[in-house]
Amino acid sequence: MVIRHARKEDVDAISELIVRTKRLNNEFDPLFAVTPDAKERAEKYVQATLSAPENLLLVALEGRKVVGVLRAEMRERIFYEPRTEGRVTDFYILPEHRRKALGDEMIQQAAAELKSMGAEIMVADVPAQNEIANRFYVKRGFRALINQFAKRP
Amino acid sequence: MNPRKGRQRAVHSGAESGNPRKVGREDVQASEDEPSRKALEYSKFYGGKVGFAPRVPVRSLQDFSIWYTPGVAAVSKAIEADPGLSFEYTGRWNTIAIVTDGTRVLGLGNIGPEGALPVMEGKALIYNYLGGVNALPLPVRAKSADELVSLVKAMEPSLGGVNLEDIESPKCFDVLDRLREEMGIPVWHDDQQGTAGVTLAALFNALEVTGRELRGTRIVLYGAGAANVAAERLLAQAGADPRDIIVVDSKGILHPERDDIDQLMLKNKWKYEIAIRTNGDRAKGTLKDALDGADVLVAAARQGPDAIRPDEVGVMNKRAIAFFLANPVPEMLPAEAQAAGVEVVATGRSDFPNQVNNSLLFPAIFRGALDVRAKTITDAMVIEAATELASFAREKGIGSEYILPTMVQWEVYPRVATKVGQAAVHEGVARRRLSAKESMHAAMASIERSRKVMNALRDGGVIADPPE
Repeated sequence: MVIRHARKEDVDAISELIVRTKRLNNEFDPLFAVTPDAKERAEKYVQATLSAPENLLLVALEGRKVVGVLRAEMRERIFYEPRTEGRVTDFYILPEHRRKALGDEMIQQAAAELKSMGAEIMVADVPAQNEIANRFYVKRGFRALINQFAKRP
Repeated sequence: MNPRKGRQRAVHSGAESGNPRKVGREDVQASEDEPSRKALEYSKFYGGKVGFAPRVPVRSLQDFSIWYTPGVAAVSKAIEADPGLSFEYTGRWNTIAIVTDGTRVLGLGNIGPEGALPVMEGKALIYNYLGGVNALPLPVRAKSADELVSLVKAMEPSLGGVNLEDIESPKCFDVLDRLREEMGIPVWHDDQQGTAGVTLAALFNALEVTGRELRGTRIVLYGAGAANVAAERLLAQAGADPRDIIVVDSKGILHPERDDIDQLMLKNKWKYEIAIRTNGDRAKGTLKDALDGADVLVAAARQGPDAIRPDEVGVMNKRAIAFFLANPVPEMLPAEAQAAGVEVVATGRSDFPNQVNNSLLFPAIFRGALDVRAKTITDAMVIEAATELASFAREKGIGSEYILPTMVQWEVYPRVATKVGQAAVHEGVARRRLSAKESMHAAMASIERSRKVMNALRDGGVIADPPE
């Protein structure tokens, strides 16, 4: 298994996985209903990510197949210290490659790279109800920082 | 009047005893009418199919000082000191509960616990008559898996075992797994282990008839409910390579990249794990894609007779095997499957050859498990039972129209019970380490006792023949 930075030729495969993360989120809350054109939007999102230096886009490959993706972005924290964060916005691994420490490897590599990009803390966005993801981060020393509440106005 | 007049003794042996007539499309749909009419009429006439019968004599009212106070207190104190004695001093050793929440009864769906009661009574009668097991029909009102688990666990002190029945999927997997983990008596879900066990027995002989080994055989399981989820696990334990198994459900072939895979991870982990474990070639597509070149089809999917088409089974390998297990109407009619090239066909019906019928297994499974005071029923015990069922049929002479014993070949029950008991001893889950001879003796004694009770009740006119 190889983990490397994403390239242009990976866009299609990454977009598929990004849509899967969104569909998975939808399992936890109807406010995450996925749009019909999510795939096209995902392609634009991935392309934009690739062209912006403040973003990180890692892929895991088995042979030539993309089996995992991690997207993160650098953000400035205006009012708080530490001042810079590396935020994991999307993280997905295909089912048959789970439970084999690939997630660990990807998150560690992302941590190292975000640190070298200047991140003083690392944060990750997951749906509140996604207990599997919550456990994943807590087990790796993360703690919950913000609760996001939602309702239709 | 002789109460036995016109009664057939249900004791036959040999392959010739399973000699069903040829049944066509119209017959399949019409054949429910007559039993339905009688079931309604007789159920009202008898007011229930099973009931308690004493096991001890009441020679005079004085005997109650032994069976009840003050004598019974001594027995209670002995059991208090050693709760294991409840298996010796009470009927617990031979008592099971047939528990359902009524959420998936036969092909009727969620008809509630009261609606399920006649079915559980029927099952109790089969347990009693074929296995000598004292089975209590116990549909319960339980809204959630947690509530059902908690109810069943609370009943443990009175029971030697539990038969779960007609519980919707995937709740049934969760309930079974938790109860097997948390209870010290065997918990069995017949729609999972029973159907899968008989299917395995049928498959052993169908493979023999068509000159195959389980290892290397390409198997398609159509339907991913209770029966086939258990079948996949049992097949793998019995030696099939999971990579040679493809499971197909209403959304097509199950594979780890199907669009709904994460939904399965959250809502049906059993199916999720099957998606990852099976289908080594990562095939995608429809049932027909899965069947292309397959050796075996086990359909436990939905009512037929047109749930599977001839062109779908037509792409299977030569000398194909197909089991259509939906009841009462199989996914495809045997004659139509045979015309499309399938060699060995089995269904859940008694009016076709090769009936894959849970009743061949569950009475014997519990007979054997109860006789050795088993703590659980392991998959190895089920595989032993399936192997013995298959061996029995082989001794009678198997062929494409006889791969399983029939229910009238009652000698099979003590034989299977003995193998189950021995497997429990071997697996280290038996509280009583009986020898094979002792197991056989115990099984025969219980089964014969049930038959004697039935005969005595009928001969004595306590159970009257039904109204003409």
